[in-house]
Amino acid sequence: MSYFFNISVCLLLVILQTTIMPYLPPLDKFYDLLIPFIVYLSLSRPVRESLPFILFLGFIMDNLSGGPFGLYLTTYFWLYVGVKGITMFIQVGKRLLIIALIVAGGVLFENLISLGAFALLGSRQQFAGDALEIVTIQVLWAIFTGSLFLLFFRNAQSRLGAGFKGIYARTREQG
Amino acid sequence: MVLIVGFVVLIAVNIIGLSVTSRRSAAFGIERIAMSAIAPFQELVTRSLRFTRDIWRHYFYLVTVARENHVLMHQLSQAVENKNQWHETDLANTRLRDLIDFQRNISERVVAAEVIGKDPSAWFKTVIIDKGEADGLTRGLPVVISQGIVGQVIEVSNHYAKVMLIVDSNSAVDSLVQRTRARGVIKGEATAQCRLDYVLRKNDVRIGDTIVSSGLDGVYPKGLRIGYVSQVIEHDADIFHEVIITPFVDFEKLEEVLVVLEVQKHDWASRK
Repeated sequence: MSYFFNISVCLLLVILQTTIMPYLPPLDKFYDLLIPFIVYLSLSRPVRESLPFILFLGFIMDNLSGGPFGLYLTTYFWLYVGVKGITMFIQVGKRLLIIALIVAGGVLFENLISLGAFALLGSRQQFAGDALEIVTIQVLWAIFTGSLFLLFFRNAQSRLGAGFKGIYARTREQG
Repeated sequence: MVLIVGFVVLIAVNIIGLSVTSRRSAAFGIERIAMSAIAPFQELVTRSLRFTRDIWRHYFYLVTVARENHVLMHQLSQAVENKNQWHETDLANTRLRDLIDFQRNISERVVAAEVIGKDPSAWFKTVIIDKGEADGLTRGLPVVISQGIVGQVIEVSNHYAKVMLIVDSNSAVDSLVQRTRARGVIKGEATAQCRLDYVLRKNDVRIGDTIVSSGLDGVYPKGLRIGYVSQVIEHDADIFHEVIITPFVDFEKLEEVLVVLEVQKHDWASRK
């Protein structure tokens, strides 16, 4: 059931950010929607379930993007490890501010890795102004909406889980 | 006998009384009292009846209007949807006509494709098109539209391909300033603009000059429009101009493209 949920959400998010959002002017510089999902997986799901899925997700995104292969794989893996590390020191729970900051940190981290790749490609100083604008917009979006996405994922998964359990229980009773 | 007389007298008195009261314009005090006492109730009942009747009528009227409104709203939304579809068809028709006109000027085999997705990253500029290996696409093929060069195919699957746009920072197109034939390399900036590098300062480059492909990179045919010069920055210590190019293609509105399947290595502009 979890795998079904994870795959459905990822498919939805990937399609949303590659086909719909680029054509909506206020959202064309929105951050990577998979970052809150990775933070959610890191915070709420066991390693054996989430880690292979995160690696798979990075692989898919690397194939869809025009960036150097491995950029998303690297970002998602280290973001996952970073969030797991943070939870060893901070009790995140349902504290929205901390969640928002973690998502914003993840967005910043992804952008820094992309900028690192750009530096390797030899981009010019003129680009720095645009880069700063893009990073700022994305981080601000993440601060204000990151925790909402996480709450949505948690709620959706728990409701879906409860729904499946109910169906399973009814089927057993009837059987 | 007394009864008959009494009856006649009573009738006479009644007639006299009637004739006397019929000449009076104003009512006596008793009549006023009666009127004042009864009229408010009459008014109340009459108004209540009218109110109820009006509500009843309005209710049915409103029910009818609501039904009618629902039907009209449905018809309106259908009409708006139809209009929108016609408008979309009209726009697609115009774009496809442009593409066909452009295709007629190309002697190479081309494949028309539709853009179905964009790069998930804000830093890289690629699009996914709905044609792939099965349609004859291979890596490195140029992608164009009537406005100019779009980019080149960088990855191909069976039915889809990834196209790197010329605004991507990995992109480079060998180019010429159309007016002065000065050579340079157009590089993407990951924004809406490009740079024209390696144009020597001795060459004349002005704002508004059109930039075309030189054909020397072995990817893009010669003479295809790329963009126009929007800024020229001179550095004292540099031997090259710093030239900013605005592409003719609006990459935000890219929907249909042509993939050139066989690039001929000769002058694009001289062909029909």
